[in-house]
Amino acid sequence: MGENTPFDEMYNADGSVREPYRALSEWLAEQPEKGLALMQADAEAIFRKLGITFAVYGSEEGTEKVIPFDVIPRIIAANEWRKLSRGIEQRVKALNAFLYDVYHRQEILKAGRIPEKLILNNAAFCPQMMGLEPARGVYAHIIGVDIVRVGPDEFYVLEDNLRTPSGVSYMLEDREAMMMLAPDLFQRSKVAPVETYPENLRRTLESVAPAGAGRNPVIAVLTPGIYNSAYFEHSFLADQMGAQLCEGQDLFVDGGKVYMRTTTGPERVDVIYRRIDDDYLDPLTFKPDSMLGVPGIFDAYRAGNVTLVNAPGTGIADDKAVYTYVPEIIEFYLGEKALLNNVPTYNCTDVEQRAWVLENIAELVVKEVHGSGGYGMMVGPTSTKAQHEEFKKKIIARPDNYIVQPTLALSTCPTHINNDVAPRHVDLRPYVLVGDEVRITPGGLTRVALEKGSLVVNSSQGGGTKDTWVLED
Amino acid sequence: MRIAIDHKLSVSVPQGTAQAVFHLLLTPPSGPTQTVESWSVEGPGIGNAGRFTDGFGNAAHLVNQMRPEGEITIHVRGEVTTRDSHGVLGRPAGEPVPALYRRRTELTKVPAEFYAPFRDSKESRLSICHALMERVGETLGMPPEEPEAQQMQADGGQEQAQDVTEEPRPAAADYAHLFIGAARALDIPARYVVGYRLVDGEDGLHAWAEAFDEGLGWIGFDPFMQICPTDRYVRLAIALDAETAPTLRTVPIAEVVQVVKASAASTN
Repeated sequence: MGENTPFDEMYNADGSVREPYRALSEWLAEQPEKGLALMQADAEAIFRKLGITFAVYGSEEGTEKVIPFDVIPRIIAANEWRKLSRGIEQRVKALNAFLYDVYHRQEILKAGRIPEKLILNNAAFCPQMMGLEPARGVYAHIIGVDIVRVGPDEFYVLEDNLRTPSGVSYMLEDREAMMMLAPDLFQRSKVAPVETYPENLRRTLESVAPAGAGRNPVIAVLTPGIYNSAYFEHSFLADQMGAQLCEGQDLFVDGGKVYMRTTTGPERVDVIYRRIDDDYLDPLTFKPDSMLGVPGIFDAYRAGNVTLVNAPGTGIADDKAVYTYVPEIIEFYLGEKALLNNVPTYNCTDVEQRAWVLENIAELVVKEVHGSGGYGMMVGPTSTKAQHEEFKKKIIARPDNYIVQPTLALSTCPTHINNDVAPRHVDLRPYVLVGDEVRITPGGLTRVALEKGSLVVNSSQGGGTKDTWVLED
Repeated sequence: MRIAIDHKLSVSVPQGTAQAVFHLLLTPPSGPTQTVESWSVEGPGIGNAGRFTDGFGNAAHLVNQMRPEGEITIHVRGEVTTRDSHGVLGRPAGEPVPALYRRRTELTKVPAEFYAPFRDSKESRLSICHALMERVGETLGMPPEEPEAQQMQADGGQEQAQDVTEEPRPAAADYAHLFIGAARALDIPARYVVGYRLVDGEDGLHAWAEAFDEGLGWIGFDPFMQICPTDRYVRLAIALDAETAPTLRTVPIAEVVQVVKASAASTN
């Protein structure tokens, strides 16, 4: 699985340029000396002006940072995208069917295709969701699938992210910045638009409004507040789709319905795009000490008076331990073979597998089952011996808390580094909307590990982003 | 038999509360063991309540009150006709899959040595549950041995029941949790029931357990009383444990005092 040289998305092994990158390659050759550096400086000014920042937890210097943006776009050919998006659509359909099943008759558990205990005793399984009929049967409406490429035709899904995936604002702003920085480059290629995302988001949310909502359902974006690392994105999305940005205290229940306080009095809310985690969403049903949520909002949801997007309890379908069963899930509900690969995952609670993992830890990636954002993970090949030993101890102490995967040779893209162009590892997070139909924005967010050889692309760990182009035929 | 219930809940909401929000599980279902003849839930905001079915199949109310002052009282009254089925409830419609009740929760954690003797048991599930019920009683304390007839007497019997000077027994909920935890550890779906018990001179609010048998469906077990529920029991709500089946949950968190009077109703 790509243990050798990583796949270079721009160059073939013989040094010739791959077809999708031809226009970019010519354009790069035409750039004057220091051209890219100037462009990089402009980009930074644009992002500072747009105010796109993110918070790094645990960082000493100021909490807000501008996420590094690389001025060289990442390019995906039309036929590559078709294949990818078919695989993504298959996955999100199957995962929504799985969610419906585990919160209803649990046929997949009865059939023994997934161990019952793995679901029922999972912290991410939400018993309060049992028997609820979500609008259009959809639980996960907004999804960001993490994909890596290891070969011309080989894509792997790392995580499905069915809770509250973030980063879509970077996809949109990266495109906007790129169009300002290199308008000429856009003239040479036919690039599929991403600007339709906010409108599609709105359509998706409207399509899952409760039956009692009018023709123009009222949509609110519920944010934990300004101290959340993705607050910028929450306000950006609300603004882009013409919805109200609310904090918990701006919403209240009355008579089993949800209202927002406005200057002209209470206004009924039909659909809530909530960016607050399940646990904090409603102190009446979940964590009783949560100050972020809205008391009674879950009961109003159960009463069919409001739609929560995504539904609580979707985490059971993107749990790292459930992840290994996704190919099984696709077969069970759709009767199809999975189009996208799953990364082989070792189960440390199995004695034999654990022994093998401990012996080969230097070659493997270790992730916490409930971790995210690149926190609490270790990439064997780029870690020290001391770190290997530390993670061995952790695995032995709590084998069920970790999953282990082979280190994938993530593909590389040309990246601007110190006024030069060098290959750096990238991943891809396409954004998917599921409502009356499945809408996948062509492209997504490309994250790039700016350090040479690094495979960790998370922005919290020093990764940057790139504009992602899907070429049209 | 016909049982009259009078259930008062007094909630002390902290001063200065802008809005109180209540989640009520105070509506009993009609089913194989009981028929609700009449029922009313009264309290501020009830007329405007959101009504829905929760994840466990219970009828629930969502009640809110702006700027509540002082104590809020919820008054629940009604009459239920019960049938003795030796504890067998069967498979009522509209309930989630029994497997749900194999989920372990914080409140239903049980030490392995408690259920270990049953692990390799060849007995039927029903026999295991009866044995488990007994073991819970042996562990937490058996009910005082009094002739049932004496308890049945009208109010006069209560002084006699009081004169045994022992440590107070743990609450019925603790008995239920121990039973449920052990059953689940043995792969038997088991759930928590909150309800009423007709008992002279004592508060009628009670808790017990139900375990699932492939043949008979749900069967009630009251480890606190060491019997399967009779026609003196009224089921109110079910869930995973006491935490998920409170009769009343509030935001802000407030002290709730409950007084239940269950009495035999005159049959007409």
